[in-house]
Amino acid sequence: MSMALEVTDLCKDYPTFHLRNVSFSLEEGSIMGLIGRNGAGKTTTLKSLLGLVRPASGRILFWGMDFADHEAEIKQRIGYVVGGTSYYQRRKIGEIAHVTRLFYQNWDDGQYRHCLDEFSLDENKCLLELSEGMKVKFNLALALSHHAELLILDEPTSGLDPVSREELLELFMDLVDRGATILFSTHIISDLEKCADGITYLHEGRVLTSEGLSTFREKYRLVTHADDLSDTQKERVLGIRRNREGHTALILKEDVSAFTELSPDIPDLETIMSHLEAEE
Amino acid sequence: MKTLLRKEMTLTAAPITYFFIAFAVMTMFPGYPIVMSGFFTCLGILYTFQFAREYNDILYTALLPVSRDDVVRAKFAFTVCIEAMTFLITIILAIVRMTALANVEPYASNPLMGANLAFLGYVLIVYALFNTVFLSGFFKTAYKYGRPFIVFCVVSFVVAAVGEVLPHLPGLGALGATTAEPLQGVVLAVGILSFALGTACSLRASMRSFSRIDL
Repeated sequence: MSMALEVTDLCKDYPTFHLRNVSFSLEEGSIMGLIGRNGAGKTTTLKSLLGLVRPASGRILFWGMDFADHEAEIKQRIGYVVGGTSYYQRRKIGEIAHVTRLFYQNWDDGQYRHCLDEFSLDENKCLLELSEGMKVKFNLALALSHHAELLILDEPTSGLDPVSREELLELFMDLVDRGATILFSTHIISDLEKCADGITYLHEGRVLTSEGLSTFREKYRLVTHADDLSDTQKERVLGIRRNREGHTALILKEDVSAFTELSPDIPDLETIMSHLEAEE
Repeated sequence: MKTLLRKEMTLTAAPITYFFIAFAVMTMFPGYPIVMSGFFTCLGILYTFQFAREYNDILYTALLPVSRDDVVRAKFAFTVCIEAMTFLITIILAIVRMTALANVEPYASNPLMGANLAFLGYVLIVYALFNTVFLSGFFKTAYKYGRPFIVFCVVSFVVAAVGEVLPHLPGLGALGATTAEPLQGVVLAVGILSFALGTACSLRASMRSFSRIDL
């Protein structure tokens, strides 16, 4: 399988935050979720990919091409959508599309009309009049109309109601079926369970892991009623959280033998993340 | 580049920027420091930069399949286009004042600067200051425009004041004449040179600044 994106040792320094040696790769025709708590470096990573943020060091290859050397060519093949951000709020979406089409060699008016119908977008409406979900759909329509092969989406589901989120996730899966590749960041982890093939997990500017979703989940077990753990058991706990019934603890699959009496279970992604991020 | 300029003209530009081109008619105002017409043109362009910031225009443009240098070039091209349109009207009106209206009241006894070649030079100097002080200042951050504009206001007022004072100094009366005089050609030449060099240097500095900042 060929790679749509390869990121190697991406570094960026801010006064109070550092992105350190971020590396991951994304296969063509797959969906990867970029996860991590707020401030983990998701947006900085995505912006670095597109040259919006200047990395201190690192290598970014799209379809084997260096971004710095083939910027315009790569951008022709990419669509970037940021949830909660929109351009030209008081312009009609038809005006924005009319100008945007001028920049793309592969702009397809038929596809654009199809997207307008599919997403129920009215060209005569201003962006200001659209809901957050419709704004994301409009930006997706622009990306799809120039046949973007790779969609980079920054928090596309933030601010959406559960039904709209569900619709959007189904759309992502449809797009991948049609040959697109998607990289999207989110802190709504449950979204990833529904559609992602893989995850890249960022923690304080570092990649904690980058692998298949099921492989990642399979590595952990959740212990419920973990209120009276022995010292040996406590040493093996990766993170502990409290709920109404008591405490839950995250452990590695290979440590299950030490917790058999508590019947550890396979946790969902959100549970893994919340435990790994738990303050010690 | 042509496509980007079209985008600047249609999607980004604040309509009021085009309205401010009409301030070129200030050239016809007697008893008024008419160099300020150049300032008003620049004030009109400022509105487009305000629009650009509120509309996330820089981010939108940077995401298009264009280079960062082209983003800066497009903003400069738009600015120079607006200045050129205004200046063209200013030239026509100045010629009318220097010829048909040179000896007509109230222009003949106008105590302030006449619409002559020196006036055109001062207008170009004001444009040059906008292109250097404001544009290069803006592209240091691509969102802060207050400070560069205030600095531009101060220096352009100084230019207007100098333009009004010089003709009253001994031997420089020709600078304020209602008809074209050779001495006025010196100011015009300085204007043309400062506009061309200032804009070119500012463009290079702006591209360098913009290539380094994070959006």
